[in-house]
Amino acid sequence: MPFISKIQRQSDYNRFPSSTPIVIDNGASYFRIGWAGENEPRVVFRNIVQRPRHKSTGETVTIVGDQDTALLKYFDCTRSGPRSAFDSNVVFQFEIMEYVLDFAFDRLGTNGSRIDHPILITECVCNPVQSRSKMAELLFETYGVPSIAFGVDAAFSYMYNQQHGICEKDGLAICPGFTTTHVIPFVDGEPVYKGCCRTNIGGYHVTDNLKQLLSLKYPYHMARFTWEKVEDLKMEHCYIASDYALEARLFQKGGKEAEDKTRCWQLPWVPPPTEEPPSEEEMARKAAIRERQGQRLREMAEAKRSSRINELENQLHGLEFLLHQLGQVKEEEIPSFLSDTGYVSKQEIESTLTKVSQSLRKAKGEPKAEQVENEEKADSSTSEKYPLINVPDNMLTPEQLKEKKRQVFLKTTTEGRQRAKQKRFEEELEREKKNQQDEERRLENPELYLEQMRTKYKELYEKVEQRKRLKTNGGHTNGNSLSGGVGRGERLNAAQRERMRLLTTAAFDRGKGEDTFGAKDEDWQLYKLMSKDNDNDDDGADEDEAELARVCSRLQEIDPTFVPKPESTSLQPTNAEAPSFCPLTKEDYQIVLGVERFRCPEILFHPNLVGIDQAGLDEMTGVSIRRLPSKDEGLEDRLTSSIFMTGGCSLFPGINERLEAGIRMLRPCGAPIKVVRALDPVLDAWRGASIYAANLQFPQQTFTRADYYDKGEDWLRRYQLRYTL
Amino acid sequence: MEAEVIKAELVLPTHMTFKRIQIYEKYPKGQSKVRWKQLKQILQAENYQNYPPDEPNYVNIESPPSMHPCKRICDITGFEAPYHDPRTNLRYANADVFKLVRSLPNEYVQRYLALRKAAVVLR
Repeated sequence: MPFISKIQRQSDYNRFPSSTPIVIDNGASYFRIGWAGENEPRVVFRNIVQRPRHKSTGETVTIVGDQDTALLKYFDCTRSGPRSAFDSNVVFQFEIMEYVLDFAFDRLGTNGSRIDHPILITECVCNPVQSRSKMAELLFETYGVPSIAFGVDAAFSYMYNQQHGICEKDGLAICPGFTTTHVIPFVDGEPVYKGCCRTNIGGYHVTDNLKQLLSLKYPYHMARFTWEKVEDLKMEHCYIASDYALEARLFQKGGKEAEDKTRCWQLPWVPPPTEEPPSEEEMARKAAIRERQGQRLREMAEAKRSSRINELENQLHGLEFLLHQLGQVKEEEIPSFLSDTGYVSKQEIESTLTKVSQSLRKAKGEPKAEQVENEEKADSSTSEKYPLINVPDNMLTPEQLKEKKRQVFLKTTTEGRQRAKQKRFEEELEREKKNQQDEERRLENPELYLEQMRTKYKELYEKVEQRKRLKTNGGHTNGNSLSGGVGRGERLNAAQRERMRLLTTAAFDRGKGEDTFGAKDEDWQLYKLMSKDNDNDDDGADEDEAELARVCSRLQEIDPTFVPKPESTSLQPTNAEAPSFCPLTKEDYQIVLGVERFRCPEILFHPNLVGIDQAGLDEMTGVSIRRLPSKDEGLEDRLTSSIFMTGGCSLFPGINERLEAGIRMLRPCGAPIKVVRALDPVLDAWRGASIYAANLQFPQQTFTRADYYDKGEDWLRRYQLRYTL
Repeated sequence: MEAEVIKAELVLPTHMTFKRIQIYEKYPKGQSKVRWKQLKQILQAENYQNYPPDEPNYVNIESPPSMHPCKRICDITGFEAPYHDPRTNLRYANADVFKLVRSLPNEYVQRYLALRKAAVVLR
């Protein structure tokens, strides 16, 4: 990472006397703290806090800043994302601020019962007084700080560079930060806040945009694009094009220059081990195993069948014996004999006998020709079973009437079943005949027959596809149809339109009188109409689909070159699914950064690209100059001849030229324009603040606890630092 | 706590000697979930209308909407996009990109639109 956090605990806290101020640069991205008068901040870390749960003990702990991911595996970080105390450059969550300050002071090596040094802390431009007062309260009450001063980081940076001769006394400071971008005019070394201008675009938005774009382009590798990694990519590879349209056209043409500008990130990828075709022995062994398994299964089936046959034969013998016995027993003793055996009448025994013998025959696998005989025998027996049917009603008792009704019912049902069987048989014969004819036709003229089949298949396929498409596209308007013209799939088909019309007319209350829908029975027929539309479609579709399936199978039998067309799925496979069908290659694991390299930082100049309707960097300078209250001659020229860039986002290559070109469009012809960058855009704010705090007159600019409580909030609102000491 | 975690001093200790009020006293666990005011609420409570309008304050110094014509770039490729798809509301650069646009599932369409803050938010 280009920005390294320094969180080593410092040991020389006691070296510094009580008058040495501590300088804090409280930024939305990084927190820097150190001693006044030094060149580098002592402790630097990212201004975020995580509160994960420790996996084994279960307690919630606090971790400040970016930490080593290897150690984080002991903690359950799923519920706790990194949290920041900032809401777009204003501190609002002071609990998190307290954790951050705790950590910072701890790493600075603080000991003693309170922080005994004055503190200079940075804030945003025109910080709301609530945030300011809460910060002051936190520092005074909890940490026991004697005195505080608030300053703007861009101003400190400007002052530092002014002392080093980079920029003049009058100039414009442009500070693209993490969440916001400011343009502040400086007159005589003091910032003029009236002319200040702020846009809510910053490095955070650029990184977020890049992250989203990459995730959408490579959804397969989405887990790789963590925030930190994308920030790395941004800092390493992104640049600002001097003319966006020109660059885009260059990439669109795809020439060699575009190739040069494209960067490629290769993710670690291991090619899968190639499977060798199984050798001869392998195959032989596998065949033998399969053979043995088949043999075993066959033996088992055989054993089962023979046991069943034995069982049935036993049963048969028993029943025959029973019949024989029945024949021998005398008339009077039949009922008692029967009750012993469990059968009600002789006929029942006979019927079970026939059934058992039938199943025995089936088990033995004999032809079913005998079944027909049995059925006929059954038929004849039925006429015996329904003796009462033919007897007229008036000769029967009520019980017998009931009996007769039951018999009539039974007879009709059995007759119905027989008729159905007959019909099925006839249909079978018909189909056989048709197939025969087909075969004959085929044998006569194979070519013609094949042609006919193919055309029939195509027609049916088209019809089925179209109906399917209509159905799905009528349902949701975000059409996913691949083929098919603009007109066909999109318009609701007639049935659906009719349904909509019915719904709207039924629901729309014209306001005259009461709603009388439902008073008449016919109204409810409406629902039947609405649902029937659907059914009609389905019936037709089913027939067609069945026909299609038949034709398809026929073609597969007779035509060796026929390949059934795969049904087009209604959802096209996205980039994510495609790689799973073919083996992943090395290219799939490469992340290509082409247009994104200059597309993402472009939002600094055109916030419209991400939907934020504010002025971009170049326009903001114009606005800022316009807003200045009092202008003497030449002030504008002096301002534009010393345009100073600071802040983390100003590190993009190409931003200077672009800004110059943009400002030249706004200023009158021939105006002097000079854009300079800070010596170190990231650390200069802290350095400026450090030098300021080391100044002897710094204590006059601070306010103490007593001041804060005496003078009240109103005074705090108007409190501003004077930067020229 | 594992040894290496303690050695690296990853975790913030709960008691700091230099503080007058410790954090566990200020925010007792599990009880008072302090609701911090978001920026919007802070700005509302500031009552900037009571003060003279030319005094710079947080709301004053915000930049106005852009005067330049809106730059239309393709949502997917980043090239210039003169065309606009009425069904999905995405911008595209040429016919190949259009094919891609039409084949995207709805989730991706919404995410591309969300980049531009043009997605339909049902809340």
